[in-house]
Formats: sequence, structure tokens, C-alpha cells
Amino acid sequence: MTGQVTPAGIDLDAAALARFMPMHLLLDAEGRVQSAGPTLARVLGGQSLIGARFEDLFQVRSPGGAVTVAEVLDKAGHRFRLVPRGKPVIGLRGLGQRLQGSGQVLLNLSFGIDLIAAVKEFALTDADFAATDLAMELLYLAEANAAVTHELRGLNLRLEGARLAAEDEALTDPLTGLRNRRAADLVLDRLCQARAPFGLMHLDLDFFKAVNDSLGHAAGDFVLETVGRILRQQVRAEDCAARIGGDEFVIILPGRAEPPMLQAIASRIIAGISQPLTFDGQQCRVSGSIGILRSQDLLDPDPARVLAASDRALYAAKHAGRGRAVSLAELVLQPVSDGQA
Amino acid sequence: MDALLLRSLQGYVRDTFGQPVWQAICRKALIKFETFEPMLRYDPGMADRVADCAAKVLGRSVDTVWEDMGTYLVTNPGHEGVRRLLRFGGLGFADFLHSLEEAPGRARLALPGLELPELSLTELGPDLFELTCQSSVRGMPRVLVGMVRAMADDYGALCLIDSDGGDRISVQVLDRAHGRGRRFDLAAPGLLQ
Repeated sequence: MTGQVTPAGIDLDAAALARFMPMHLLLDAEGRVQSAGPTLARVLGGQSLIGARFEDLFQVRSPGGAVTVAEVLDKAGHRFRLVPRGKPVIGLRGLGQRLQGSGQVLLNLSFGIDLIAAVKEFALTDADFAATDLAMELLYLAEANAAVTHELRGLNLRLEGARLAAEDEALTDPLTGLRNRRAADLVLDRLCQARAPFGLMHLDLDFFKAVNDSLGHAAGDFVLETVGRILRQQVRAEDCAARIGGDEFVIILPGRAEPPMLQAIASRIIAGISQPLTFDGQQCRVSGSIGILRSQDLLDPDPARVLAASDRALYAAKHAGRGRAVSLAELVLQPVSDGQA
Repeated sequence: MDALLLRSLQGYVRDTFGQPVWQAICRKALIKFETFEPMLRYDPGMADRVADCAAKVLGRSVDTVWEDMGTYLVTNPGHEGVRRLLRFGGLGFADFLHSLEEAPGRARLALPGLELPELSLTELGPDLFELTCQSSVRGMPRVLVGMVRAMADDYGALCLIDSDGGDRISVQVLDRAHGRGRRFDLAAPGLLQ
């Protein structure tokens, strides 16, 4: 027999007390340790605990102002929080009772939410906890939760990848690999709203219909793919080259609004497009007309006005004999008689 | 449950036999994708159907496929979390077996909506147990056989573990401390960091 229950109370020996409460502390009436549970002894660093004073072992966090165990019990009733001296990372919660007759004080402590830190710090095992303690469940839950969160994060990353791919696909012209009308509208919208300076080229192929009519759609597609390649070579990563209609393209160049620079790029594009192409043994010749616009050419640029204005410059380029680039700025200085395209 | 098993099967086949084999299995099962997500839901019965295709492609019985996958889940370093969560079951192998009855409750606590099979353990005699596994997935008892075998190794216990072909698994512990078993620290490395 390690204990007995009588009408006067429960009589437990030290071994049984340690098993039921591996983190208990039994203090004499003056607050000196008489016995300590094995897990608590480990936390307190294996120092000789017997005879040590409560206030030398713990700093009281609550109730405020209490230092000795008597003050803790007087102020807090039964519940209190402590930190072991020298181990400020581990908080302890406790419950205490002065025993009748002997005046001894029995405290039972627990790690509370610092359980995981304590298990790590003191390399505790499930043998260090009472069988009724929910410590294992808490540790289990913390790990299961980490595992679930990890899976969810993985799922989110994979979905995000799929979303980006789908979005990219939705903004790409499959034939040329350039951006599509929707992408160009989005870029233009963003630049206009931010009032950011940009240059824009509106390109229309010359003689494309003739190639399509005489050599067939495959030849036409071949020409469009070639134009796509030329445009990609001429733009930077931050530019947007888009096919916005059958043989109609726009190139939006954020931050690039110097007329000579835009002229030079337009000339290189036209030169590239005007190179004779051979498709299926047949020569196809096309060329390109470009209308150039800078955002500052318009008082209040919005996407519709920008495209209408660049279309006017493009019409002027066509009108002036094709295979050339005309900028809106020149047009304003020397208006063409029938400039309303 | 199908989602977790499909994801595990995918990991097991890819890691053990390579991506092309997994692709062949998906084609055989007439599935249009190759990646199963453990957190999504799939049609009930899909796990059994894909496992049947895996068995045909790999040229072994579907029972073997499920058992090997169960062992893979416990022993593969990439799934260390599974082993750890199972080891929380107790100090010794017998404690672990008893803790399996609590597994569905624990799983629901971690992830509401996760349906683990209902498990019950009967102690037939000293070191002789019968584990019953009720699941909508036909292969589930076989997965459990593979997992329990690997966990016996993990605890260092020597056991005979067999399925009756239905939902009953017999576990005979021949030596509780046959090997040294693998170390288990309660605090996971990386947690709280």
C-alpha cells in the first residue's frame, strides 16, 4: 500500500505523489522544499532542492507583489504563475493548498502554453507526464497542425502556379506568342491611370491581305509568326508587344518617350518586316506602317483616346505611302487634310 | 480519405519507380491529370481504382502495392511527420497499437472533416492482438498492415503481422525488444522556430 483514504483526508507516500503529480512541490510551513516531483526537479536543474526556499527557486509573475509562497497563497487564492529563476523562457502555472494540521504547502505546477519549449529544453518524454496530462495531445496537435499548414501552403503554391499559367495563357496570342488585345488594354489602362510616361507604336502590315489571298492562310500565319519574332527582338522585357487584330499590332514602351529613340525602333521594325520571306518555295513580301505616339502628346491620355490618336498617326503613315513611321507630334504640326481616320 | 491515399500512392510510385511509371498508371486509370492534392476531394472509389491500375502496371498484386505504400509512408524520410504522429501513440509498441483506436479522433482534431478508418483493437492474449479496420477504401486494411509492420520496426519489436484478406489484421508480438528501435524526441525539430 502506498496510500490510504480516511475521513480526515488522503494519505499518499512520496512515490504515489510523484506518480500522480510529477511536477508537485511540497513545502514545509516556512516555505522550504520537503519533496519535489521528478519532472519539476529536472526543470529546476537537478540542484539539491530539499531545504531550498520557494522564493529562491521561483520568481512570481502573478499575483503581483507576492514573493514568498505564503504571500502567493494569501493574494491569489489558489492559482498563480511562476518563472523558475535562471530559466525565464519557461512559464509555469500552478495551484496550491496549505495542508491542514501540518501547515505544509502543496503546489502542483504545469507548463501551460510553454509546454513545447519545455519539452525541447529539458528533453522530456511522455514518462515525465502523468497519464492524465493532456501534454501528449497538445504536442501531437501542434505537430499535426504544422503538418496540415505545410500541406496547405504547398497546395496554395501549386494553385498559384496554375493560376499564373492560366492568366499568362489568357493574355497571350497563341499564334505569335505576343500578348493579346486584352493584355495590351490592361497595360495601357495601368499606365494611363498611373499617369506614367510611355511611347506607343501602332503597327499595321502592308500587303498582308494580298499574301493571304494569293498564298493561303498558312502563308499568312507564317508572316504573322515572323512579325511576332521581329517584335519580340525589338522590345525589352518591360515593354508590351501585342497582336490586337488580324494584322494589327501595338507596342507599348513604358518610360520610353523620346521621339528619336521611338523613330529608331520603328525603323528597325519596318526594316525587319520588309525583308522578303520564303514560304513553301514562294516569296511573300509585306511591309509595315507605324503610327507613333507619346503619352505627353495627349492632354489626358486614356486607353480609348490613345488608340484613336495612334490610329490617326498610323493612317497618316499609310497615306504617306506605307512602309514608314509617322508620329502624332509631326501630324499636329503639319495636319494632313483628311486626318480624321 | 481517397485524397490522402491517392497522394501517398503518387509519392510512393514516383519515389520508388519514377515519374514515367506514375504517368503510365494515370493513363491506364484514364485520369486527365497526374498530381493528386491531399487537401481536395476525389470521387469515392478512385483510390482503389488507381491502385488496381498501379498493380497491373507494376506487375504485382494490389495488396502488395498497398502494403508497400504503407511501409513507405512510415519509413520515407520525406514523410517523417507521419512516423512522428504515430509515435505519439505511446512509449512501447503495445501502447502504440492501443492508441490506434484514438487515431480517428486525433485526426479530426487536427483537421476537421478528415475521415480516417474506424479502428478497434482486441487483445486476444498476451502479445496477441486483432486489429479491425473499417473503411470505404478496399485497400485500407493492407495499407495498415504495411504501416504497422514499419512501426514495429520503429519500436524495435519483432512481430508477425497478417491480414485475413478482409478487414481484420492479426498482430503477434514475438519479442517486444528485438531491436533498438528508432529514437523519438517529443519535441519536433523545427517546431517553434
